[in-house]
Amino acid sequence: MDVLNSLFSGFKIALGLKNIYLCFIGCVWGTMVGVLPGIGPLAGITLLIPATFGLDPTGAIIMLAGIYYGAMYGGSTTSILMNIPGESASVVTCIDGYRMTLKGRGGAALFISAWGSWIGGTLSIVGLMLLAPFLANFATKFGPPEMFAVLFIAFMLLGSLGTGSFFKTMPMVVLGLLIGTIGMDPLTGTLRFTHGVKELFDGIGFIPVALGVFGIGEILISTEESLSRIVHKVRLRELLPTREEFRVSWGPIFRGTGLGFVIGLLPGSAHVLASFVSYITEKRLAKRPEEFGAGRIEGVAGPETANNAASGSAMIPFLGLGIPTGPAPAVMMIALMIHGIRPGPLFISEQPQVFWGLIASMYIGNLILLILNLPLVGLFVNFLRIPFRILFPVVLLICLVGTYSVNSSIFELFVLLGSGIMGYLFRKLGYDLAPFILALILGPAIELSFRQSLMRSAGSFSIFLDSPIAFTLIAFSILLFIWNIFKSLRSGEKSVK
Amino acid sequence: MKKNLILTVVAAVLFLSLTNFSVSAADYPTKAITLINPMPPGGTLDLQARAYASMAEKFLGQPVVVVNKPGATGMVGTLAGAQAAPDGYTLTVGSVNLTNVVEWEIANGRKPPFTRHDFIPIGSFTMSPTLLIVPYESPYKTLPNFINDAKSKPGQLVFCSGGLYGMSHLPIEIFARATGLKFRHVPYTGGGPCLSAVVGKHVDFATQYPPTSLPLVRGNKLRVLAVVGSKRLKSIPDIPTVKEFGIEAEYYGWVGILAPKNTSITIVEKLREVTKKVAEDKSFIDMIEKPGDEVCFLNGDDLAKWLDKESKIIAELDAELVKEAAKK
Repeated sequence: MDVLNSLFSGFKIALGLKNIYLCFIGCVWGTMVGVLPGIGPLAGITLLIPATFGLDPTGAIIMLAGIYYGAMYGGSTTSILMNIPGESASVVTCIDGYRMTLKGRGGAALFISAWGSWIGGTLSIVGLMLLAPFLANFATKFGPPEMFAVLFIAFMLLGSLGTGSFFKTMPMVVLGLLIGTIGMDPLTGTLRFTHGVKELFDGIGFIPVALGVFGIGEILISTEESLSRIVHKVRLRELLPTREEFRVSWGPIFRGTGLGFVIGLLPGSAHVLASFVSYITEKRLAKRPEEFGAGRIEGVAGPETANNAASGSAMIPFLGLGIPTGPAPAVMMIALMIHGIRPGPLFISEQPQVFWGLIASMYIGNLILLILNLPLVGLFVNFLRIPFRILFPVVLLICLVGTYSVNSSIFELFVLLGSGIMGYLFRKLGYDLAPFILALILGPAIELSFRQSLMRSAGSFSIFLDSPIAFTLIAFSILLFIWNIFKSLRSGEKSVK
Repeated sequence: MKKNLILTVVAAVLFLSLTNFSVSAADYPTKAITLINPMPPGGTLDLQARAYASMAEKFLGQPVVVVNKPGATGMVGTLAGAQAAPDGYTLTVGSVNLTNVVEWEIANGRKPPFTRHDFIPIGSFTMSPTLLIVPYESPYKTLPNFINDAKSKPGQLVFCSGGLYGMSHLPIEIFARATGLKFRHVPYTGGGPCLSAVVGKHVDFATQYPPTSLPLVRGNKLRVLAVVGSKRLKSIPDIPTVKEFGIEAEYYGWVGILAPKNTSITIVEKLREVTKKVAEDKSFIDMIEKPGDEVCFLNGDDLAKWLDKESKIIAELDAELVKEAAKK
């Protein structure tokens, strides 16, 4: 009852004309930065912070949070339509989303993505509202050994992300790991493979690489074949998912919500991890996993739901404890601090109007985003009717501008173009791109957590067994590994027969 | 004939550029000013820079645009700032990274791409000490508690920082040298993860800046043992400084504005005057102090002196750290 009362008073704040307006602005801006490749929620929020200086704290956080979860809605658009991840959490959406577009089902993919985003987003606010104080402490339980265990599972799963052959997936994972080692080692300050190039000290950013191998690579491939490719003519009926597509999406959407919510609590690149784990889960549960990668709607519904659910729960450590686990919540927290509100363990009880106003506005914002994004599906799909010779130069320009806008770095433009050529070659040779990108993102993270654990324990491996969370997770992943071998041996026998 | 023509053209260009220069210096600024922040967007530094920009444009009558050029702990952006035309239209946000990175490069036998002498300091507006924090349930209730226990277990207490040789690592190294204590260091990537590690009891202690740690102190998740400096803070007047225990350990995170060297004195004077006005402005002070920081203005000359002193201390410290790392 207490919760209902508080929520009611929150809605009274959030439904004020000014706050609805701010929420709307945040959602529109968020959708835009999500749609535009390169520029993500972090840059989107930072750019608008000075605009909040004149607002009251509740209005400010309502708008900034709108950008944050709004970006997760927009991120799938270019992934599905053009094979360009609009946002790092939408890398896996490219795999099946783009295939669906090639089959003429792009509209359905966008529709399901918005629908799943809404369900995942809304349910995770319910979780945030009810569990914030308890789960905030849970997040601090994840130290280096626990994070290592989580990433260990992720790496066990990475192999099954590819379209099949071990020899087409593993080299890409290894390449991603190798490129991930470039830069200054955060634990000793040693420079690795930088050859005195200052731009390499921070390593190679995955935004230019992801945009390059997916986006530019796609453009290069298309110039070979597509000048003659038929222009998609999409009828309204084709925009909507079929009844069958709806039916098979329910499972992925609800599983994606659960997975996304739990993973969102973890520190680091939680959105990326959430969408990736959801994709793998759906692939493993599918009756015909071999159809994944050829345009299964489950491969869109799951991950796109999971990254929205993660954006809700990622706000828990910041709102419940005052410790941001990712860069975007960190910026939101600082924005609140400018207004004299310092989130901490007492935030919810001392500033109920801000907290409940924000919660209520997130319900409203998710509804706004659903209403905003469904008609946009029709508009975006129509972009595909633009002849390729006009569309692709524009896309190329967007990739360049998007990359430059992140760090104002010319060097990253060369990384983008270089990765584009690499992406083209890999595609020609039939190698998988998603495992490469994920290894590049997760590689430095697993190395960091592994070495931090050993630094903490002065070199003793027992630290991984002493922590119950880490021990359970590692044991689980080893069982998973054994089961995999067993399964592949059995299927091998079958094929021999 | 041809030679004469060239000479005339050169003279004309020189003359024009000179007159142009003096005119622009007097009327400065006539167009938007770029303020390079060598750190990524978000973060306290970025916000203070943006707060400064939003105030300075009122006094200058021209927009001041913050551009983030992060990379290599600030080296990429600071280098861009040092190489910018000294016309007052490209300024750089200065912070501890200016001294830290330069001295670290020198200590490792590399040539730093720039030094503080590539800049003219305009002024700084914050100068904040760090707090020595432990988990709330920690057995250490006071600084002497902590020091006594650390003495009996040399090299066993573990601390985290937001980054190697950064602004939450060096204060502890300075503290350890002043007290003769030995600790073990686990670097994290950012202040947030480090705070989480202290709250989650993954490490024994750390130092962090007041704005992010004080709410956790009030919520009984952290305990502050001392201010690593010589002056108590307005926001926590009952917390002692390490100096009160006879420990000479100080380290301050400063944020200020730098102009490239060779900027004309007229422009420098104008910018210094504006920075002073900003630092004294009520709404600017609010923007800095509401999050828990304090405005502390140093004019250009004082900042230059302070930088000289600080560089020496960091240089000695880095030399020792490199030696220690080589031994391991």
